[in-house]
Amino acid sequence: MNNYQLPTINYPLSTSMNPSDKISSQTDTAFLSIDNVSKVYNTPRGPYNVLDGVNLEVAEGEFICIIGHSGCGKSTLLNMVSGFNQPTNGTVKLHDKPITEPGPDRMMVFQNYCLLPWKSAYDNVQLAVNSVYPDKSKKEKTDLAQHYLEMVGLTDAQEKKPHQLSGGMKQRVAIARALSISPEVLILDEPFGALDAITKEELQEELLKIWRETQLTVLMITHDIDEALFLADRLVMMTNGPSAKIGEILEIPFSRPRDRAQITEDPRYYELRNYALDFLFHRFAHDEDDEVTEEEVSNQWGFKKIAGIVGGLAAIAFVGYGFFNTFAPKGENAPQPAVQTPAKP
Amino acid sequence: MSTFIEIDHVDRVFPLPNGEEYIALKNIELKIKPGEFISLIGHSGCGKSTLLNMVSGLDKPTVGGVIVEGREIQGPGPDRMVVFQNYSLLPWLTVRQNIGLAVNRVMRHLPKTERNKIIEDNIQLVGLKHAAHKLPGQLSGGMKQRVAIARALSIKPKVLLLDEPFGALDALTRGNLQERLMEIVQESKVTCIMVTHDVDEALLLSDRVVMLTTGPEAHIGQILEVPISRPRHRLEVVNHPSYYAFRNEIVYFLNQQKRSKRVGKVAQASSVMAGNGLEKINLNIGFIPLTDCAPLVVAKEKGFFQEEGLDAVNLVREPSWKAIAEGVITGRLDAAQMVAGMPLSLTVGAGGKLPVPIINALVMSRNGNAITLAKSFAQAGVKNLGDLKNKLMETPDKVHTFGMVHPASMHNLLLRYWLASGGIDPDQDVSLTAIPPAQMVANLKAGNLDGYCVGEPWNSRAVYEGLGYVIDTSLDIWAGHPEKVLGVKEEWVAKYPETHLALVRALLKACEYCDDRRNREEIMGLLCQPQYVGSLEDYTRPGFIDPYNRGDGTEPQQLLRFNQFYVDQANCPGRGEGLWTLTQLARWGYTPFPKNWVEILERVRRPDLFGEACRQLGWPDTESDRHNFALFDGMVFTPDDPIGYIQRFTIHRELKVSEILIDSVSSIN
Repeated sequence: MNNYQLPTINYPLSTSMNPSDKISSQTDTAFLSIDNVSKVYNTPRGPYNVLDGVNLEVAEGEFICIIGHSGCGKSTLLNMVSGFNQPTNGTVKLHDKPITEPGPDRMMVFQNYCLLPWKSAYDNVQLAVNSVYPDKSKKEKTDLAQHYLEMVGLTDAQEKKPHQLSGGMKQRVAIARALSISPEVLILDEPFGALDAITKEELQEELLKIWRETQLTVLMITHDIDEALFLADRLVMMTNGPSAKIGEILEIPFSRPRDRAQITEDPRYYELRNYALDFLFHRFAHDEDDEVTEEEVSNQWGFKKIAGIVGGLAAIAFVGYGFFNTFAPKGENAPQPAVQTPAKP
Repeated sequence: MSTFIEIDHVDRVFPLPNGEEYIALKNIELKIKPGEFISLIGHSGCGKSTLLNMVSGLDKPTVGGVIVEGREIQGPGPDRMVVFQNYSLLPWLTVRQNIGLAVNRVMRHLPKTERNKIIEDNIQLVGLKHAAHKLPGQLSGGMKQRVAIARALSIKPKVLLLDEPFGALDALTRGNLQERLMEIVQESKVTCIMVTHDVDEALLLSDRVVMLTTGPEAHIGQILEVPISRPRHRLEVVNHPSYYAFRNEIVYFLNQQKRSKRVGKVAQASSVMAGNGLEKINLNIGFIPLTDCAPLVVAKEKGFFQEEGLDAVNLVREPSWKAIAEGVITGRLDAAQMVAGMPLSLTVGAGGKLPVPIINALVMSRNGNAITLAKSFAQAGVKNLGDLKNKLMETPDKVHTFGMVHPASMHNLLLRYWLASGGIDPDQDVSLTAIPPAQMVANLKAGNLDGYCVGEPWNSRAVYEGLGYVIDTSLDIWAGHPEKVLGVKEEWVAKYPETHLALVRALLKACEYCDDRRNREEIMGLLCQPQYVGSLEDYTRPGFIDPYNRGDGTEPQQLLRFNQFYVDQANCPGRGEGLWTLTQLARWGYTPFPKNWVEILERVRRPDLFGEACRQLGWPDTESDRHNFALFDGMVFTPDDPIGYIQRFTIHRELKVSEILIDSVSSIN
């Protein structure tokens, strides 16, 4: 995928309501497939349909960005890939196997880092390594943690606690933690949303470098069109909720490795950017007043918080702290606790 | 110009615990008109918020003062309201009560019914009627910020100060609120100063964008006017042909500041390395990715720089001609490929700028431009200039926009000459806009431009993509016109005279190499590399190697002189063509015509230095003859009567003639 380039010159805007056609012609079974997925939450006002009929096939090693207004169900969608959440209808499959629960083959990175504040950067990474590779020797485990901290450029700061680190460094720790257990899919939920412009650009470049080196498949939520144009192979643009679906998929035709200055000199950059702006601010413009009501706010935020906690504590969960069960609210809509038997590598 | 707010030479110094001082802001001077919308943009820590706090009265300048309507600010007051990023609403009060708090306090003297009306009006203004009874905790971030804006506006301030108002919101929610804010500001006609990080936000909302350098001693680095008409709408704004040129200018500024932040201070020109009998062998040379940057690429890749002792030449790819000029003036670049008129326009200080003497001892290429029109003109049967004139006259109410790359470029001067000779006034009948070459095709495709004059590969690219066709090449308009030249500061040549000659020699060799057609395939391969032009061969070959395809259905033609780098004495910077350039800059009002044009040409165009470099190579140093010449319309230019030449044109701006004294002006400043 590294030299991904669209073969034809009719590049831009080759969009499709049913993007699965394209990929399935290349591979018999898609690496990751989201097949006709819908998600309904029960609210006091009756069923609330977040996603309705989402189809997406992702090739191995692809970099996908997902963009949409708040409330369009982007996070819900990725939570179904990570296994924190199950579709009401349809299936999400990895290697043709339905995803039913979180697992170390799919790691998630959140905007708010979700590090354990009482542990050093090194220990935060080490925790994940220990839980997934209990059979490796101590030295092997130490080397693994060191390796990934080095990959994100944090060797010098590894003994620092999260509160001693800047936002960018904290996000680096979270990325190192996610990478340390060698997942196949990296899921990023607006990872750079809280960072200033300089740090953001640095981390975007590092993420691309890591993606190239590890040949991971990446799914990333963003609100930033420039970020998506710089990073992604394809940009998935969602329509507004309720019953959100994939509106269009934009192929990003820039060759790799990408250089920020060079792609912004490419006339296609402006065309794609304006096309995406038109989609988001004109064709699928969004009025926040329509959608934010108290009930939904509490439902959404409650869910997000739970997902955040689950993510942050996933590492602990792998070690096997049973008490986590008591954290997660029981109920139809609550995600399943992320306790599970660690995969034996 | 009426000044409403004046920030008068303000410094802000903070004492440090160790007894030293930290100078956050240094010598900030800014005058703001009533009703203007100003954005302050810069990296975090540059003192933007400190500056805003001094206008609000929450902080005081150490030196200087802030004056609003003729009075110095002594403290906070209800005439200046601030909106913060974190909303600062009282969580136990409803939307209505939060706004009421401000109104009831400041407007105590009004009867209750009137105050209630003000409150309701402002709730209405920000579109929150349906949520007036809610508590902040029940609102989304964007709605909370609208409450904060309504609260600020409810007491009718004269100035609205916004400190990263949408910083806590995601980029898309931010977008919705920006348009809302614009409407509100338009309606209340309040003067605004906004601190932001977001380039798109600044461009959408502002009349002027003030860019601050990175601290310590942060100061105003650049001010960009945003001449986009109001009321504005996001999609119209981003489709304005100059939008991305403005955006890139700000991004470029911020990137430069980022670089300087990394090294801890504003980046200086790199240290001087001497050697090989030269004063400086490490050079940064700026170029724009275009086919005719070939001599620079060849000099580097084929080792001509090294042959002449320049061991460490770094070619710096620049985003626009404006950035090239700025780079040479500030010393960030040692030398640069310039558009032909730039050395003269910088030297005389065109456009009211400070004159900076530039030396031009080498012409690096001739010809190579073309005028492209959008495909719709072809469909309307426009085949020549006359047809274009008729077509434009059919729709006198429509603004037709044409792109060119820089006011001092041959693209601009030839496009203007061409239009005017067809009876189309380039300032009145059409609108010309300067945008970087790479953005021409995107704008043509989006329908923001009707056509443009630019170098290759951007004409052939439009043809290749079926977006436009070439109505005339610059070879048709003026065969052999100077196109890209070598520009260096006079001051730099005085410091590094041998280096300068070595540079001219290396580039001369490269120019010769470029014009040996056996080498063209190889050069094509070099140009298409991503670090240089990075274009596809398909649309880079026409004109350079292959027959030139105009895309109008006619057979492609082999134009051997389309890109001329060496043959026919291409490289000598003759004074006659320099004089022609001065006549055109004066014709269109960029600069008065210099009475002392002989002196100026002697200083800028330097056939003597060119000749010396030739002699050092053992090559003939023939100067071009001082002769009369004519462009495609046949009007004869005589170097003895430049003023008469300008006056003979039917279309020209008011002609001013004055002496332009370069040294006295620069020494005063």
